[in-house]
Parts: sequence; C-alpha cells; structure tokens
Amino acid sequence: MNQQPSPVTVNPVQRVRLWYAVLLLVFGLFAVRLFYLQIIRHDYYKRAAQSDQLKQYTVPAERGIISAHLGDGSVPIVLNQKLYTLYADPTIVKHPDQDAAKLQPIIGGNVADITTQLQAKDTRYTVLKKKLTADQSKQLRALKLPGIGTEEQDYRTYPQGSLASQLLGFVNDEGSGEYGVEQAMNKQLAGVAGQLKAVTDINGVPLAASPNNISTPPTAGDNLELTLDVGMQADLEKIVKAAQDKNQSKDVSAIVMDVHSGAIKAMANYPTYDPADYQHVSDAGLFQNDSVATPIEPGSITKLFTTAASLQKGAVTPTTTFYDPGSWTIDGAKISDVEEDHSTGQQSVLSTLDKSLNTGATWMLMQLGGGQINAQARNILHDYFVNHFRLGKATGIAQGYEAPGYVAKPAANGAAIDLTYAEMSFGQAYTATALQMISGFSSLVNGGTYYQPYLIDKTTKADGSVVTKQPKALQTGVISKQVSDQMISLLEQNNTNHIHEGFPYLQFGPNYSVGGKTGTAEIADPAGGYYAHKVNGTYMGFVGGDSPQYAIVVYNLEPTKYAGFAGAATGQPVFADIAHMLVNDFGVTPKHP
Amino acid sequence: MTYSSTLALGRQTGVSRGANSVSFKVTDKRLGPVSNTIVLIVLACLLGLLYLTQVTKTNAYGYQINGLQQQQSKLQQQHEDLSVASARLQSMDRVASSQAAADMTPTTPAGSVQ
Repeated sequence: MNQQPSPVTVNPVQRVRLWYAVLLLVFGLFAVRLFYLQIIRHDYYKRAAQSDQLKQYTVPAERGIISAHLGDGSVPIVLNQKLYTLYADPTIVKHPDQDAAKLQPIIGGNVADITTQLQAKDTRYTVLKKKLTADQSKQLRALKLPGIGTEEQDYRTYPQGSLASQLLGFVNDEGSGEYGVEQAMNKQLAGVAGQLKAVTDINGVPLAASPNNISTPPTAGDNLELTLDVGMQADLEKIVKAAQDKNQSKDVSAIVMDVHSGAIKAMANYPTYDPADYQHVSDAGLFQNDSVATPIEPGSITKLFTTAASLQKGAVTPTTTFYDPGSWTIDGAKISDVEEDHSTGQQSVLSTLDKSLNTGATWMLMQLGGGQINAQARNILHDYFVNHFRLGKATGIAQGYEAPGYVAKPAANGAAIDLTYAEMSFGQAYTATALQMISGFSSLVNGGTYYQPYLIDKTTKADGSVVTKQPKALQTGVISKQVSDQMISLLEQNNTNHIHEGFPYLQFGPNYSVGGKTGTAEIADPAGGYYAHKVNGTYMGFVGGDSPQYAIVVYNLEPTKYAGFAGAATGQPVFADIAHMLVNDFGVTPKHP
Repeated sequence: MTYSSTLALGRQTGVSRGANSVSFKVTDKRLGPVSNTIVLIVLACLLGLLYLTQVTKTNAYGYQINGLQQQQSKLQQQHEDLSVASARLQSMDRVASSQAAADMTPTTPAGSVQ
C-alpha cells in the first residue's frame, strides 16, 4: 500500500509573518514616497500650491479728474466713467447669425457685420463694441450667449464735449495720458496703483485668514482745477472757429492771459477734435495744442519786443524820428517794407509800429549798436529776446510736447548773422509759440514782470489736502515801469490810429484801454527761402481799464481767403472779437471815472 | 499589577479591638501612559477643531469683506455715473440750447462798442 504524500503544510505563524512583512513593505513604500513628496519635493509642491491659491492683483488707482472755473465756482470738464467692452471668442460661438440678431438690438450696428465678426477664424478675441453702459452690459449678460461676454473698462468722459480738447489731451487704452494736461501731468493724475496678494478660494475671493496676504490700497490721482474759465473758453473757441471758416486758414490759435499772474484764462485752436472719440482721428496733428507746440516766425508783432528793448536801453525814445530810406542792405540782402519799397521819409517809433515798418525795426536794432548792426546790437537783442522775454526756451507750462522755438545765437557764424538779426527785429528768422509771445508781451504791459504762464490753479490730493498755485514771477524788471507805460501808450495810440484807418471794430469807448499790433509773417519754405504766396496773420494786444488786464495773442496760420495784409485782415479782427467778448461778458474792469 | 493608578485599596473593615490598623492609601495620583495618550489626542483634536473654527470664521469675514467691497464699488460707480450725468446737464452746449436760454432777451452791451 502506497502511502499518500502528505500536503505541504504552512506554519500559521509563518503566514502571519509573511503578511506582516508584505504590509510593512507596502507601508514602507508609502513612507518613502511620502518622504520624497513632502520633504524632498517640499519647495516644488509648495510653490505649485501657492500658484493656484495665492493670487496677486493690481488694484488700479482712480485717475484724478480735471475741472475749470465757471463764474465763481468750478465745473468738471474731465471725469471718469466705467463702461463696458463687448467681446467674443469666435471659436466658442456656435450660432453666429442667431447670436448677432440677439446682440444687434442692444449694441446697434447691423447684423451682417456682427455675424462676420463672430465668424472670424483667426482669433480667439474680437471686440464687438466698446463703451457700452452698465444697463447694456446687464442686458447682454442676461442673454447668456456662449463665447460672448462683457468686461469693465475705465474711460475718461468729457461733459463739455470737445471744449479745450487739445489743451486737455486724452488717455490712451493703456491708461497713459497723451498730449496736453493729461500727458504733462500724467504722473500726478494717475495716482499709485494698489496691490492685493492673497490666498483665494476657487472663485478668486481672498481668504482673510492667510498670514501671507498683503494688501496695499491704491492712492487716487490728484484732482486738478485749471485756470481756464469755461465760459470764456467756449466763446473763444467759437471766435477761433469762425475765423478759420471765414479765412479758410490752415489753423487758428488764440490765447487769453491774465497779465498780472500769467494764468491762462482761455486757449483755443481750430481745427480741433473730440477727445472722447480720439481713436477715429486720422490726422495726429489735430492732437497737438498748436498754441504751445507749433512755433512759427511770428512776424511784426515782434517789433514790440525790439521797440521795448530799444526804449529800455535808451537807444530811442517814443518821440525819436528817423529818415526811412525805404530799404536797408544788410549782408548783401535788401531789407524793405511789405507795403512800401521806397523811402517813406521821416518816421517815428510810433509810425514804425503803426505802419509796421521793417526798416524802422531794423533802424532800432542799429541804434542798439550805436548806429549799425554789430555784435553789440546783436547781443542786446539776443539778451532781451532770450533772457528778458524768454523766447527760445520752453515756458514749462503743463502741456505735452511744448516746443521751445528757436533764436539764433548772436555770435558771428559766417552765415549772415547781421541779416538774421535784422530779420529777427521785425519777426522773421526766429520762431516762437503763441504762448511764448503772449508771456513775453504780458511783461511788457504789466510793469515789467515776467510771470511763468500756468494752467493748473489748484491741486487736490487724495488725502484731501489742497495746493493752490501762486503766480510765479520768474523775473522782475524785464523792462522798467516807465518803459512799460511807454509801450502801453504806443499801443493805445496804434489802436486809435487803426480805428481812423478804417477799422471801426477796434473802438471800445472811453472806459477801456485797448492796444495791440498786427503781424504778417512770411513762411519759410523747407526748400529754401520763403513761400511767395503763403503768410501767417498774427496779432498781439491787451484790453483793460486803468491798466491792461488781459493779454491776447492770435495766430492765424496760412489764411487763404482775405483782403489786404494778413495781420490786419485775419489777426486783428479776431483780436477785436476776443477783446469785445472780454469787455462785454467777462468783467474787464473799466477805468475809474 | 494594575495599569491604573486610580485604583486604591479601601479601608479594611472588621478590625478587632486592640489590633493595629494599617491604611493603604495611594497618594500619588498620576495618569498612566494610555490615559495620557488619549488625553493628548483629545486635546489635539480640540485644538484642531478650535483652529479650524477660527480659520473658517475668519475666512467667512473675507467673504463679508468681499461683499462689502463689491457694494462699495457699485456705489462708487453709481456716484461716478451721477457725477457725469450732472456735469453733462450743466454743460455749456446744453445750457445754451435750453428753453431758459431761448427765453432770454438779448441786450446791447453797455461797456463795449462793436
């Protein structure tokens, strides 16, 4: 009988030990893995977790608003408004035509155009409409169209429309100020953005308990109050526009300045643009405030500076006379008058201004040099132009792209410098902006103080503190009080003469003091010399009672429709309109009885 | 052998007169290792619970803050919109084209002659 082999028996204790070993091994593997993940890769996973949970936001600062005077108070002329942009991701939009039909009643436009945008294949982001209101955004969101949404965006808004647009500038899509006050004061207006770094929930809501949260609140930008008078600005813009229409000019600019402070009360150019719709302006030149950014050869209004310098240096007196030969030959070139090309006989300082004699201005320059144009004459004229009347240097006004203009140095340079200075004496061969001219002119008629022109009257900081700008006298004694009085008298007489010469609109009655000077300036041709049939008409004058109160400058560039001389035909009438506007509506103080 | 120090021998009864009595009273009442561990675990759980309660409560404030901030933002936006509307109503163009302006009678300026 065969004996059956006994079955392999496993000791129960060994079995338990085996499972125990397996279990230990598994736990060991877990432990090793956890050690690897939690200890060795600790930093990596911490960063990964934080990148999901820790969010960093930039909290934009509220941009400062801009206001201006209106009567005794002030009104905002630039404000902020949250508007909405409607966008679509065409790859998600399933029914472009149906969606377009639903969108059109809310956003306007036509269905076909919207459908085309929704069918775009080459993009995942297309803007369907900008500047939608909160109500429109709410209606659009209620449609719940896949792939179509709205996003909030801050915009500048202009309750006064295009008023002072070139002076104000605009804010581009990146939030930076461009041109005008917006550019010059961008840092102050923009404020400082805040920061929020926080652990958030899945919806991005910051959790308050995290010790890593960092919250820096934004600091709002400064609110600016301009020196402008809104009513005066609106009226000035109408006058300037009317002049541009009438004379078919390339551009007309005008400024009204308070002669006793340098405050700009109104500053206008035409053509202009609507800052709320700057994206659709095709000519970037329209963004420029020509009054501060476009220097020209200002023409005969410069004779006021030459006359003042000559009077101040004692080279002439208001009653000095001279024989006008009709022309002077300087550096081989002939200097003559626009109107007469022959001797006009005995002339005076007053008739030089009245008839706008180039030969008279050149004669005064000669008197500065002891009878001839020489280094002394050039140095004195340069000193007065640059150091007294501050031509050839930017004024520092709060405007983007202010141009300094150009004044040639007086040193002999082998390039007919005497001729250059002879031309400068009557307003050619140098360039200046309307702002530079009116600032220098104000010092001529206010007793001899050059005030830095300014536009920002008051600044209100985010903490509520208010900084009021005080007029800044950059230089006193630009000319003496006596010479200033002489200049006022000469200009008043000039105005009276013009009334008698056929310009009755220059009458202002006995209670007001008005004076000024015309300028007809040739325009340099980049190809050399001057254009034969293009000129600029300019005018510079004042209006006041017992003393000048407002200075006015007019630049009428390249008028094409006028009769006579551009200064008298296109500059002077604009000046008169502005002066009448100031007397009638803006409280020019009349003479004391 | 006992694992708990909470056990103690009681006073013996039926002691005969004149006999010496001996009292076995444990004066050192210390927790044993098991009790210690359990207590520590319970304390840790309580502390954890307390921490979680506080964190949850604090985070709930976060939602409240967020809600208030949204409300503040909405009110600010309403204020901005009203400011814009107010400024537009006072604009020069609107005033010039208003009925009040149309009803005004033009006068000859007293100071200036045109």
